[in-house]
Amino acid sequence: MPEPASVTITINGVEHEVEPGQRLISAAERVGVMIPRFCHHDKLEPVGKCRMCLVEVEGPRGKSLVPSCTMPVSDGMVVDTESAVVEKAQEGVLEFLLINHPLDCPICDKGGECPLQDQTMQWGPGESRFIEQKRTFPKPISISDIVLLDRERCVLCDRCTRFADDIAGDPLITFQQRGNDVQIQTFPDEPFASYFSGNTVQLCPVGALTSVDYRFKARPWDLEHTASVSLVDSVQSTADVQTSRGKIIRVYAIENDAVNEGWLSDKDRFIFSAVHAEDRVTTPLIKEEDGFREASWAEALELVADKLGSYRGDEVAAIGGSRNTNEEAFVLGKFMRWVVGSGNVDAQAGDGIDPALAATLTPRARIADLDTASTILVWGPDLKETLPVLYLRVRKAVRNGATLVVASPAGTGLDGIAAHVVRYRAGSGSDTLRKVSAGEADYAAVREALGEGPVVALVGRSSLAEDPKLVEAVASFARSLPEAKLLTLLERGNVYGALDMGLAPTLLPGRMSASDSTAVETLEDAWGPIPTEPGRSAMESLSDLDEGVIKALLLVGSDPVRDCPDPSLAADGLERAEFVVAVDAFLTDSSSLADVVLPGAVWGEVDGTVTNLEGRVQRIRPSIQPVGQARPLNVVLDDLALLMGVELGSAKVGDVTAEIARIAPAYASVTLDYLTFEADEEGIVVPIDESTDLHRYIPAEVSVPVVTDRMTLHLAPALYDDGVWNRNASSIAELPRAATAAIHPRDASVLAVADGDSVRINETHTLPVVVDSEVAVGSIVIPFNQRETKGIAATASVQVDPVRGDAQGDA
Amino acid sequence: MSNPISHWSPANQERASRLLEAYPDRRSALMPLLYVASLEHRYASDDAMEEVAELTGITAAQVRSVATFYTMFKQAPVGEYLISVCTSISCHLLGGEDVLESVEEAAGVEHGSTGEDGLFSVEHVECIGACGGAPAVQVNYELIEGVMPDRAGALVGWLRDTKPDVVLADEMQQLFGGVRSFDWGPTEAEGAIRPVPAFAPYGSAREGR
Amino acid sequence: MTTKILTARMEAHPEDSHTLARYESTGGYDALRKALAEMTPEQIVDSVKASNMRGRGGAGFPMGVKWGFLAPAEPRYLVINADESEPGTFKDRQLLERDPHQLLEGILISSYALGVDQAYVYIRGEYPKPARRLQRAIDEAYGAGLLGENILDSGFSLDVSIHLGGGAYICGEETALLNSLEGRRGEPRLKPPFPAVEGLYAKPTIVNNVESISNVPWMTLNGGDSYAAIGPERSSGTRLFSLSGHVKKPGNYEIVMGITWAELIYELGGGIRNDNALKAWIPGGASAPWLVPSEHLDTLVTIDDAAEQGTMLGSGAIVVMDETTNVVAAARNIVKFFAHESCGQCTPCREGTSWLDDILQRILDGQGRPEDIDLLLDVSDNISPGLAWPPAMTTICPLGPSATAPITSIMRWFRPEVEAMIPMSEVASA
Ligand SMILES: Cc1cc2nc3c(=O)[nH]c(=O)nc-3n(C[C@H](O)[C@H](O)[C@H](O)COP(=O)(O)O)c2cc1C
Ligand code: SF4
Ligand code: FES
Repeated sequence: MPEPASVTITINGVEHEVEPGQRLISAAERVGVMIPRFCHHDKLEPVGKCRMCLVEVEGPRGKSLVPSCTMPVSDGMVVDTESAVVEKAQEGVLEFLLINHPLDCPICDKGGECPLQDQTMQWGPGESRFIEQKRTFPKPISISDIVLLDRERCVLCDRCTRFADDIAGDPLITFQQRGNDVQIQTFPDEPFASYFSGNTVQLCPVGALTSVDYRFKARPWDLEHTASVSLVDSVQSTADVQTSRGKIIRVYAIENDAVNEGWLSDKDRFIFSAVHAEDRVTTPLIKEEDGFREASWAEALELVADKLGSYRGDEVAAIGGSRNTNEEAFVLGKFMRWVVGSGNVDAQAGDGIDPALAATLTPRARIADLDTASTILVWGPDLKETLPVLYLRVRKAVRNGATLVVASPAGTGLDGIAAHVVRYRAGSGSDTLRKVSAGEADYAAVREALGEGPVVALVGRSSLAEDPKLVEAVASFARSLPEAKLLTLLERGNVYGALDMGLAPTLLPGRMSASDSTAVETLEDAWGPIPTEPGRSAMESLSDLDEGVIKALLLVGSDPVRDCPDPSLAADGLERAEFVVAVDAFLTDSSSLADVVLPGAVWGEVDGTVTNLEGRVQRIRPSIQPVGQARPLNVVLDDLALLMGVELGSAKVGDVTAEIARIAPAYASVTLDYLTFEADEEGIVVPIDESTDLHRYIPAEVSVPVVTDRMTLHLAPALYDDGVWNRNASSIAELPRAATAAIHPRDASVLAVADGDSVRINETHTLPVVVDSEVAVGSIVIPFNQRETKGIAATASVQVDPVRGDAQGDA
Repeated sequence: MSNPISHWSPANQERASRLLEAYPDRRSALMPLLYVASLEHRYASDDAMEEVAELTGITAAQVRSVATFYTMFKQAPVGEYLISVCTSISCHLLGGEDVLESVEEAAGVEHGSTGEDGLFSVEHVECIGACGGAPAVQVNYELIEGVMPDRAGALVGWLRDTKPDVVLADEMQQLFGGVRSFDWGPTEAEGAIRPVPAFAPYGSAREGR
Repeated sequence: MTTKILTARMEAHPEDSHTLARYESTGGYDALRKALAEMTPEQIVDSVKASNMRGRGGAGFPMGVKWGFLAPAEPRYLVINADESEPGTFKDRQLLERDPHQLLEGILISSYALGVDQAYVYIRGEYPKPARRLQRAIDEAYGAGLLGENILDSGFSLDVSIHLGGGAYICGEETALLNSLEGRRGEPRLKPPFPAVEGLYAKPTIVNNVESISNVPWMTLNGGDSYAAIGPERSSGTRLFSLSGHVKKPGNYEIVMGITWAELIYELGGGIRNDNALKAWIPGGASAPWLVPSEHLDTLVTIDDAAEQGTMLGSGAIVVMDETTNVVAAARNIVKFFAHESCGQCTPCREGTSWLDDILQRILDGQGRPEDIDLLLDVSDNISPGLAWPPAMTTICPLGPSATAPITSIMRWFRPEVEAMIPMSEVASA
């Protein structure tokens, strides 16, 4: 029987039409009747434990008290939320919750934003009738490196525990003991080391869970809020950035169902302290014989203008821009193509995929399509490590019945809930793909599962060592699946925005091909002459620097020495370059090799728009003044261009947004005004015109490297890494796991090593071995960008030697 | 992956693997496994819980959540003989508290704790379904009914003196018990070898084995 | 009438009523043979419906009606509730120890009727001996082809497993029991869905008490309507009452309902020890409000009469208190029980039962305040609004409200005695 479009319920004598299928507490809230609650949360399964939301509902045998958070609405339901019986029951529950509560609101972080406090003020009795000894627990215990728990304040609402178990899949905090002794606890020595632990702080209705870095920092009424987005990864979770006295001190999720449904990864939530880190570059720096010296903007810019002006356009390249706003990225592209005259721009660092594929792959899925998919294919990086909030969305879909297929050379966070796991030796993906698509023997069941539409395929490069062409091949197979929609999986904060703005050698703003003469003409009409041929990619530029073909480099928040697949190539290139200017917030391994470093304003300081992996544009807004003398890129380049004799007109963000809308067809509808986010706005998805789909889907034959005595490499990103942002964010700086080399038991026995032994990789790096049957035979799994793996090149295969004796200890 | 319980006695390993087979869902074996773990470790120790977590495929925190819910999975090491004295309503009416006191005195152990020599643990418990034979006592969950306070002391003394390997309900009933809830029928030669319910899969033994 | 359905065999054969040999030599498994050979599952369900038997676990829900709710999905489970933990109750223990085959035969017939091929018996952890006896019976039955594949060549197959609890009264509540059987905390689930629709492993599940199922063989042999003909209309059949406390002859008594309380306590129970005066009795386990001689001795022992008096027959546990009883101490003992056994998931029960316990303990310690009487009643009211019968609840399950029964009972029948224990109260100062 199809559900009716609406049902009629009567609340306190007033009839309302409400949507069927929802719980009474939510239906009431939507028509303006707020029923008090503690355990209820829209995104968690109802448990009806706190009993605060009791209301009277009329039934065949008269009125009875029912918890409105578990009661589904039904047609003709008659509800009383204000009767004397209801009031008494609610007051009673409140009193019960308070008898053992410490009432330490004046020193509690939650004071001022606590429903227990608010409801006590509103309903609670003035004086306690409870004269017995209160239940006490030793003061806060840390349940993880990031989160503290005050058991005395806990009202046992089950929110944090339900989140940990159902949403995050990390049931590491649980109810323990029974009855009056019940408490939330972790297992001794097994902390709540979830990538999502911070959500519990936000979910906790009282001040029982607090984050280490916010404790005692501010009172809620002192906080200023900015609706913005997180730029940690390309999901771009909607977030409320909270400041006090000019500093960001807390980031909360905003419940944007289209994107993050109110969740953040801990990296999203806790990266902000890097903005205020001591190591921020706060003034322009000019390199002298004996290192950098501080300089004025005027001096630094003049030097840069001078230098850049002295080269032919195609002798200059720019790498970066994927952590900037769309406006900044657009201006960077305009500056390079028009002012400098170079098409050598690339927002990726050789670690990504074909820009045309990323920007224009159709039919493009939306994140929310996962909710209704029958089958989900994930063939790419470990979502838990790279796009954690998307990982939660896939988990949710599977919980609700979707069939999950995961393909990867090593175990991923999703394997445990996948119906099918396709394991292949790193490097042999295309062969496996052929077998899967043909439904060959071992893959028949997988093939059959993939035949069940609608399919949502999430495709990306599973490792830096993987040939990016495999993604194209997988995407082209996935497109053939029933009712298929696809998302590519690039990771960096605004990489999709940057690509859409033309920060790729092959792309012009608005996802136009750099070799499309009409697109070039349009731009030339607007700006002036630009290169008519595609430029060089980051990897090509780096190697051309090494060769001396490229002479000058502009680095924008990019650290190729760390991030590109061939770190030594990048380092050599930067060393050989005649002139390098970096716009950055930190002195990274790369920017410290520059001749001039300009302090760039960053997330939290800049205004504009950003675009996520589904093409959704949201507004990112400044919460604080840029630290020190840092400036947004569009302003820096505006000044620089003026010194080079060209007027970019990019000093004001709004003007740039308007220019993007004029020039980039896909962004025609995006204006800053439209995106003045009130909390419940979702942003806009900029459509991909399928006819301009640049990707031709002729998947190149991906070569399977012939490796006999070497192991194929799976160089996999981990959430916490040795990147400069992570290192400078105090609460997560210590969280990267010590790097290991994981190999299959068969290979372990061939190498005669066991857990705890070490292996030497390419004669340069020594790592402890983890024997793991989830690793494909013949592959070695190493985490990317960790302290211990710095400098490892992402070659297809590596030489692996067991380390004998105690010959350990170089990094 | 090494077997987390490979240090368990072969009998207990064999018990554990049989229990894991016995249910459609491994997690259902959790409580039975906690008994076997208690047999092995004397209580639901952290190690035991981690092992059981590994066996059932859930986290140790989840195991602990379950283990601490139930009173029979002990959170501290238990003595050779766990003496449980019922003080619920029917036993209360007939002197259960006095029985508890004399057990505490004779054992030299306060309820809720274990003596230093590890011989006795004493606890008071809620109704153990022996109300018709109140006041009732259990030793390692083997029942004795109609235990009056003076006989309770004697029971403790007898345990200390004879230190039976297998605790038998009938034997103790005959020596120290009184009125029963109902006729127990023929005597049983099977009893407890540890403070764990004497049920074949969790460990029990026949007298004189 | 001295009809005995459940205990006739164990009375006649005290030495070996628990063995297969004795069971079979006294007509055992005839009902199973009849069911498998002559009856369809539907006919058995109809017979159980016709018996009008109300569940013997405590809630008194008609067994046939519950069976009728079983959802069609597969697999389905039958779970026998042998958690017997309600203070005062020890009848299931006797049935398990003395006639385990009777229960097994009931399980076999019920499983056949319900389309079940796996049954679990959840026995409380403190009952190792009943578990051993039942396990031996199960082993004997497998040996004799009465359990396992293709039982008695009928094509019907059944496995029965015993699961021992871990010491938690709340696991007697059927959904808490199912959680416990799944290896979880014994916390009652929200209802609906009821177990008959989503029970063990979210599959359709029937949960019945040991005594309830032990009646099935007799019903099958003699017909549900014969069962219905025994005793008063809405309290049909015989029932096993556990009599304890200050009576001369405590024990389990199988009786046909409809006798008076006086008959039960004075004739069957032999009267009060030392021929003391009777002060009060609990008619249906610790959860039940108390009855008193001045009002209730001549009322009838039936489910409906008990309801009329604002109480219940519950688990059939009668706890008798004589004139020497300190009713405040007795009430506190019961409240403490519920506080100790609260699962702790819902606020009013977790916080309220301990608070009530604390207040009563304070009164017993001589630290009571005059306002404590109203406080006890008002806190009780916040757990069970209106303090009426059957109890309304602000809680998830009836455990919390059960803790208010002894309080309302002593306030109703012995208020002056309570007040006398409070130093500054009017009674005490008078
Ligand atoms: C707190 C609580 C404790 C219970 N304890 C038991 C018990 O120990 N044994 C039992 O059979 N039923 C017990 N019940 C009743 C069960 O929930 C359920 O109604 C019963 O097992 C159904 O079987 P029946 O219909 O055959 O009586 C309890 C109920 C509650 C609310
Ligand atoms: S009433 Fe008590 S036992 Fe029942 S669910 Fe609530 S807390 Fe648990
Ligand atoms: S909000 Fe309904 S019971 Fe907690």
